[in-house]
Amino acid sequence: MARGLRFSQVGVTEAMIAAYADIVWKMSNNVQVRRGDPVRKLEFGRIEAERADLGMSDAQIAQAIGLTRDQVLVIRLLTEVRRFRRRSYQRLYELGRGHRFNPQRYLPHEARGGYTAQALALREALRFDPDAVGRFIAGGFWADDTLTRWLAMHAAGTPARAAVKDRHTELGYEELRARSESFAAGLRALGLGRGDVVSVQLPNGAEFLIAYLAIARLGAVMSTIHMPYRSAELKTLLAHAHARALICLGTAKDFAPAAAALALKPQLPALEHVIALGAPVDGAASYAALLEAGGELSEHPAPSPADPFLLLYTSGTSDSPKAVPHTYQTLLGNARLSAGEHRITGGDIVLSAAPYSHLFGLYSFHLATSVGATNLVLPAFTPADCAQAIASGRPTVLFVAPAHLAAMLKAGLLDALDLSSVRLVIASGSACPQELARAVAARLPNGCFSQLWGMTETQAGLYTRPGDPPETAALSAGRPSPGAEVRIVDAEGTPLGSGAEGELQVRGSLLFPCYFDNPAANESAFTAEGWFRTGDLACWEAGGNVRITGRIKDVINRGGFKYNPRDIEDLLDAHPRVMQAAVVPVADAVLGERACCVIVPRGASAPTLEELCAYLLERGVARNKLPERLEIVAEMPLTPTRKIIKGMLRERLTPRS
Amino acid sequence: MSDEAKAKIIGYCLRKGALAAGVADLDAIDLVAPPGHRPRDILPNVRSVIALGVGGQTQGAWSVPSKAFAYFGSTEGRAYSVAYGCAFYIENAFGARSVYCPPDMDPEGGARIPLQSLKLHAELAGIGARSLAGDILLHPEFGYMYYASVFTELWLPPDRPLESNPCPAPSCVEMHRKTGQTPCMRFCPVQCLSGEIDEHGQQAEMRYDMAKCAEMTQQYEAVPGMLAEALAAPDAGAREEALFDPDNSLLWYKMSVGSGGLLAQCFECMRVCPIATRAPLADPIRRAQAAGKKG
Repeated sequence: MARGLRFSQVGVTEAMIAAYADIVWKMSNNVQVRRGDPVRKLEFGRIEAERADLGMSDAQIAQAIGLTRDQVLVIRLLTEVRRFRRRSYQRLYELGRGHRFNPQRYLPHEARGGYTAQALALREALRFDPDAVGRFIAGGFWADDTLTRWLAMHAAGTPARAAVKDRHTELGYEELRARSESFAAGLRALGLGRGDVVSVQLPNGAEFLIAYLAIARLGAVMSTIHMPYRSAELKTLLAHAHARALICLGTAKDFAPAAAALALKPQLPALEHVIALGAPVDGAASYAALLEAGGELSEHPAPSPADPFLLLYTSGTSDSPKAVPHTYQTLLGNARLSAGEHRITGGDIVLSAAPYSHLFGLYSFHLATSVGATNLVLPAFTPADCAQAIASGRPTVLFVAPAHLAAMLKAGLLDALDLSSVRLVIASGSACPQELARAVAARLPNGCFSQLWGMTETQAGLYTRPGDPPETAALSAGRPSPGAEVRIVDAEGTPLGSGAEGELQVRGSLLFPCYFDNPAANESAFTAEGWFRTGDLACWEAGGNVRITGRIKDVINRGGFKYNPRDIEDLLDAHPRVMQAAVVPVADAVLGERACCVIVPRGASAPTLEELCAYLLERGVARNKLPERLEIVAEMPLTPTRKIIKGMLRERLTPRS
Repeated sequence: MSDEAKAKIIGYCLRKGALAAGVADLDAIDLVAPPGHRPRDILPNVRSVIALGVGGQTQGAWSVPSKAFAYFGSTEGRAYSVAYGCAFYIENAFGARSVYCPPDMDPEGGARIPLQSLKLHAELAGIGARSLAGDILLHPEFGYMYYASVFTELWLPPDRPLESNPCPAPSCVEMHRKTGQTPCMRFCPVQCLSGEIDEHGQQAEMRYDMAKCAEMTQQYEAVPGMLAEALAAPDAGAREEALFDPDNSLLWYKMSVGSGGLLAQCFECMRVCPIATRAPLADPIRRAQAAGKKG
């Protein structure tokens, strides 16, 4: 206490403080009353008479109430400490025009909200290497990109230009901004905010994009769920993401997503809201009502480029799903820089055959939104619907999986289509057979074919560029995107030179930081130098291009002879009686593994194993690479980008013990 | 000699940046200031108290949209440096012991007890009069100023207080007649001011709830408060937050290298005061314009 005195030396007790605090507070100079102007007028008598009203010194108070000066001092100081509210000086910021030092309006601390524990846990997963962060920012790979900023920029610059078009709807950029802002206000009214995960299971459409932009505007994180997923997958993914809300269809063809999610709610403590698009669902909030209700969001802080905004699942539905968090910096920086490489401009009309629930589909949207182009929406891929969308919408850029192209080609649709509007086809999702690439390129009178390699962990890592020789796009996935570093290494991690097959590894400004809540996956995914092990096999081609040759886990080990079945699959795909083919290893007691060929036949008459082997031998395939078993299936298990899920095929072929 | 010395000392202060300076009557100070807070308590043989004032704010400082930013226009430091130099000047020029009166708190009296009332010195020296805004001094020509004092053993003829009080301004009287409040009362964010004006337009009663004002603008309790919070924090993370969140870090900064700034006054009462901000010589722009007219 004052001059080092302790209470015991001064004789002050809590009882004394309680008894005298009020009178000391009143008599000290806390409330001053002055009558007239006595000092200026030198009215000393009046000053003396009214001295108490102007506040008394401790000594004067002590004399008046019968305590010592030290006791008054102690009581007064402690009373001030206990009665004055702390942090009220923050109100100073609200004075003037309520600004601090910048155009942002000052928000009192209590009005700033906060992040939930789950949101903070997700942000914990954003572990970037500090040296790399410095390089990404200095190099311009990470900048000020956010969806909200891009949308606002185009809404101001080209408000009437179509941002989203489908068969029934056309929204200009300003209208899209206004609707997403309104929906964001609706979500906020439900209590959703920064860092919260909002899962979305919707088909491609304006509603998906409005929801995506609204979630982004809130500073929340979208986690997509593929449309074919049902209750079991919903439960796993919603639980792992700690999703606070799910936006889904009220009813689909053979499934009621909203009702299913509502039924799961008791098992999903984080899930508070199910928002149904379409017909009303009891217990679910209405998408349309939230959009309609709108509300004020001007005070809600805009998202920051370093915020996480997507949480995407790669291998879906197992007990330890791989959840990939991305910030605006990783994905939108990649999209902004890649738009120029693909030569995509605001005048383009971009059609994605891939679903927006998959990052390849979202990549098309990111690219288009970075430059203010038009997104032509295909709700769900079928060869006929895609052909119809191309015919009526006249897109200039197509985002498709090789399987989409193969299906359309085999159905004869590409030959009948007027593809004169298309100046660029970007194929990704799986390795593209050379013949397919050449066939598509040959059908583009004014355009070119481009291959792109990417993963959920990277978005667009490699691609060929417009202007590359056609054979480059047919044979390779191109060169690294800006900000991406790639290398191809052998089993010991030694970088390989041209022509040698090894694992493709990636790092750079596009790379996700680490899997959310999956230490085991993180342990094996990265090298000590921060390279991401893609699990893809690749080799260098001329000109710094990379050819993707397969997956490490698809390699067949036949008694020590290891080979990649990709070439054989390409040949089988071209067989006139084969619609789709895959070669997968099956366990063998003698050799360890043998090759099994799985096909979807074209037409009623499926080829035999012998016929297929003869066909392959005619084309120069070595005998020890020939398949030794044939399985005929009605359809392949496919990813959302129609890549064959070989793991599922292997499981089906493995005898149950 | 005394008049000549006084003229030289006042001239020194004005040359060094004071807008106004004068000599307070020592006996009058003794009659008003309580024991322990009189000039003789600091300098036993003091014979004169010199008060000086420097300009309160620039026009820009009053007009910036960020209130917090305006605080950096504070000029009390200039007043103190003039007074500090003045004490040296008197000793050098006149051989009389002098001391700059620190604008500090009573080290034995706690946070809100001033060592000396600079306000009292200035008022008695005739360079300011008490306003309805919590007794903040105003000058009819210079408006709102910051004050500093010098005690000296040199005798100087004292000045008299101002003949009239510029507060309330006619517009404030009119507003008070209509609403019961002057602008300073109306715009005080914590409503710590109230008062009455008599039929002659003079101050009848000034009421100032200093506790309300201090709670928001002074925050002497903030630093020990954050230490107490840190001690009571349940874990290391919470302790770190209690000590180093942005606002608390600001306090540490003020404690170490910072000056003036966010914990000073809120100044809303002065921002809306027609005398403080619009007196004929209240800011450098007005003073330059007035000098131009004279020239």
